[in-house]
Amino acid sequence: MGAITHLQLIADVFMDRPFAMYDCGDVKQSMNLPLYSKVCLINGAVFALGITVLVVSPATVSQQVTPRELAVLTCGLALIVVTNALLLHGVLAPLSRLIQRMDRFNIGAPGERLPERGDRVAASVAKSFNAVLTRLELERAEGNARALAAQENERRRIAQELHDEVGQSLTVVLLSTKRALDMRPDDIENELTLVRDSARASLDEVRRIVRGLRPGVLEELGLVTALGAIAQEFDMKSPVNVRHQLTARLPTLTANTELVIFRVAQEALTNASRHATAKTVDMRLLADPESVTLSITDDGRGMSTEGNGEGIRGMRERALAVGGELRIVPGTGGGTEVSLRIPVASQQ
Amino acid sequence: MSDEARILLADDHALVRRGVRLILDASPGLRVVAEASDGAEAVALTRASDIDLVIMDVAMPRMTGLQAAREITSHDAHPYILMLSMFDNEQYFFEALKAGASGYVLKSVVDHDLVTACRAAVRGESFLYPGVESALVRSYLERIARGEAIPTSVLTAREDEVVKLIAEGHSSKEIARALVISVKTVERHRANVLEKLGMRDRTELTRYAIRAGLVEP
Repeated sequence: MGAITHLQLIADVFMDRPFAMYDCGDVKQSMNLPLYSKVCLINGAVFALGITVLVVSPATVSQQVTPRELAVLTCGLALIVVTNALLLHGVLAPLSRLIQRMDRFNIGAPGERLPERGDRVAASVAKSFNAVLTRLELERAEGNARALAAQENERRRIAQELHDEVGQSLTVVLLSTKRALDMRPDDIENELTLVRDSARASLDEVRRIVRGLRPGVLEELGLVTALGAIAQEFDMKSPVNVRHQLTARLPTLTANTELVIFRVAQEALTNASRHATAKTVDMRLLADPESVTLSITDDGRGMSTEGNGEGIRGMRERALAVGGELRIVPGTGGGTEVSLRIPVASQQ
Repeated sequence: MSDEARILLADDHALVRRGVRLILDASPGLRVVAEASDGAEAVALTRASDIDLVIMDVAMPRMTGLQAAREITSHDAHPYILMLSMFDNEQYFFEALKAGASGYVLKSVVDHDLVTACRAAVRGESFLYPGVESALVRSYLERIARGEAIPTSVLTAREDEVVKLIAEGHSSKEIARALVISVKTVERHRANVLEKLGMRDRTELTRYAIRAGLVEP
């Protein structure tokens, strides 16, 4: 590392100053020319130095090369080659370091970027790399948003059909069997009771499936009621104690954003009760003029990132799809705090 | 009001309407006089004819049952309203109460509860389905546990036992077996308890649900 810095210093002193002119004007756009010219000039300068030494020094080469002359020539050539190699290394080292960094780069972590400072060529490559990353992230977020929307639409459609078709038909079966039973048909009463009971069981099952597929309370009664409902549901159906504090003064949010907040709350509650073995979970929905924040804090044993990585990725993708930011940090009381912040500006 | 309660039936499924109608018409004191296939039609029919009770599906095209209920109860001297729904979330139930409905009947027990609910509604009482009753009682117990002061008449020791069993979601039959008393006695305790907790009438219930945070104000 020390050697590289030292060599870079030499390279800078020798090479960069004469090349400053390439950095202004339209040549700046192209990365090839400065690097290419640098290499040519290094080579040229080294050759020029060698020739100057030959001209200035009293050294001559006989027609029949003597071993001594051969040794001097070999040393001179070696000196030229080594000087050239060291100088070129100084110019190219930032690039190889950049390539190493790119190889190690974690594409999965959103917002991470390569530093765009230091060597001009390397900075420029890093800048392009970062621009590509930004575009990729944007496209990935859009793709995820589309996939999530498609998934939700499909779920909604299936739920609707189950409710409207299967649910209603089963209701008719229930009503008709009641009518038939009221007529006191002694010989088939057992069969009718069986029909009635299985229609009832199926109707309960359809209701359970529809509820899992589509957050009906959210669509019909709004975000605050829906969050209250799942808080209550988890409170009742799991061993965790869920407390909630939800502001009623929310800015207008798009249906998509409400759905994201709802699904993140659902996932965070599931994680807290299933993986973190928490006793108490606090759900809060807060709003200020700039943003809406959902925070879910548990007192569990902290979140193990393995095991529920899929759920966390899902929450992140959903957050990203509506321009929000998801943070998962250790809570003050030992557990985990999941917070989703969505800027109001993203709602227009 | 004549002896017979005049009923308007609103559901977008003709077969469901037919099934409900056959059952109601077979019950003395109840008669279906009009049918609507969506919320808007139900509102219009309620205004045009003399109706005592409206039975509506929560989810209907054009105007949902909840919207239609709000619309209908915004007028003075409106009929009683009973909501029919597939969903057992108590949020729907409280929202229905807030919209002015007297009761809420789950479709999976419609054959069993419908006539009882209709009779309760035309008497001016609210109809609680079993799930919501235990949810209400549970939230009541939680509020006591949190040390909130709730002004109610004191429950007897027996009623206290019944309350805890209701909160756990047991049916009258199971409670009777657990306490070794008759189902009839359980039913009487149950009615007394709800009366004392102020959960018999719609306004009281809505107020309670809002205070307990079961529904947005």
